Amino acid sequence: MATDKSSFQLVINGILNENPIFRLVLSMCPAVGISTTVMNGLMLGIAVLFVQVFSSVTIAIFKNVIHPRIRIPTYTLTIATWVTVIDMVLAAYLPEAYAKMGIFVKLIVAFAIITMRLEMFASKESVDASFWDGIGMGLGFMAGMVALGFVRELLGLGTLLGYDVLGFQPLLFFVLPFAGFFVVGLMMGFFNYIEVVYKRSKARQA
Amino acid sequence: MKEIFTIVFRLTVSCLLAGLVMGAGLMLTDKAKQRNEHAHEQQVMLSLLGYSKANPPPAELELHEIYRYVVEGADQLSVAYLLPVPEGFTFVNIGLDGNFLNQVPVALSEENVVKPADRGSAILAALGSGKSIRFVDQTIIVTRGASRMAYLLPGEFPGFKTFIKVILAVAPDFTVLGLEIMEHEEDPGLGGEIVKDYFKGQFEGKSFATLRTLDVTKRPIPDEYRRALESEKSDLGENEIGEIRRLYQDKDIYALTGATISSKAVTNGVKAIVKKFAYRISVLDRVLAEEEIDVSF
Repeated sequence: MATDKSSFQLVINGILNENPIFRLVLSMCPAVGISTTVMNGLMLGIAVLFVQVFSSVTIAIFKNVIHPRIRIPTYTLTIATWVTVIDMVLAAYLPEAYAKMGIFVKLIVAFAIITMRLEMFASKESVDASFWDGIGMGLGFMAGMVALGFVRELLGLGTLLGYDVLGFQPLLFFVLPFAGFFVVGLMMGFFNYIEVVYKRSKARQA
Repeated sequence: MKEIFTIVFRLTVSCLLAGLVMGAGLMLTDKAKQRNEHAHEQQVMLSLLGYSKANPPPAELELHEIYRYVVEGADQLSVAYLLPVPEGFTFVNIGLDGNFLNQVPVALSEENVVKPADRGSAILAALGSGKSIRFVDQTIIVTRGASRMAYLLPGEFPGFKTFIKVILAVAPDFTVLGLEIMEHEEDPGLGGEIVKDYFKGQFEGKSFATLRTLDVTKRPIPDEYRRALESEKSDLGENEIGEIRRLYQDKDIYALTGATISSKAVTNGVKAIVKKFAYRISVLDRVLAEEEIDVSF
């Protein structure tokens, strides 16, 4: 089963139609736990993007030699390998970024979204398509995290990217872990509503 | 039954491949990582002494590294220090009872002394056969002109989960000048708070006498003290901060909320490092004075 989507459609698919956070509702632990500020969301997003792309491509290359009964351990092994390598490369060549991103990178081994993408997409599709799917999923995750971080940082701390914009802290509630569920839920509802409105207007035109 | 062998075989091959990739990654990045860590350490050391980019250290400030080894001879164990002297390096051997045994000059260059392997082989060559050495730790003696300004003590001790690595700066009278946490794996938000100014700053200014009996109290940290410790965030003037800090100088360490074990680990670790160092440096100084060894610090 090969996908008939173009590379551009695959990227857009990851960001909109199958957004990991708002549509697939995967990897909710980091989404709720870490998206307290825009910067945190962005850092984790970048880290996920790299791991997703590398792992997707690796699995797409080796998909024919992976025994179906041990595919999940193989995926985990692949992800862990890339996480370790990226961790080492960051520590060696980008020490300043590593100081901020280090703990996020190590967390990624257990992310559901990456394993799920390897199982659903990379293990069936070509290397090329898997690469673009990885980019789309990574960007979609990053976009979701930044959007969550934006709302929570602004409403919880009154700052954006660490800069004081409001001058006061409106509701500290929003940076606490459980508020992540509320923000994710409300934003998911909001995006679903936009989709409904969009489809209705399209149907009316037709 | 045949399938299980295929599965085992393929999993083994995948693990080997993954190991190869990670090993290659380590080989390519390890040197750069160590260089970064060394540069970071240097920067931390200078900032512990109160210097920064805006306030660069004076030219006459010198850092002298001394390395401590355990020497195993045919029938005895001894402690030895590799010390910088004007004409190079010397290896001073001190018995466990604190008496001078011998000293040998070691042929080492300034660049090679920081490399553990080169340093070890040079010392072994100087000692002759029949002895083995084990590196223990290193200390940095900071001098300005002819007088000692501070000691920098890198050290590690067990925390809540794994070892906590720190660098401690102490004055010549062993008053703590500063504490920096280099590496730790305490729980984020609980024990991980040991890196925050309002915790590690509490050690600043503790005198040797206070440190010997220092304990951890579970009472909450007073608000004014916390504000004085987080000086970057607070609106207090410099004089006020100094005054409040002096007020709490001889008090116990206020434990972190929900992380008493981590707080105690750091407190006891710092106490142990300073107490042991104070003893060692007194022995070393006495030996150097008795034997009239002319060292660079």
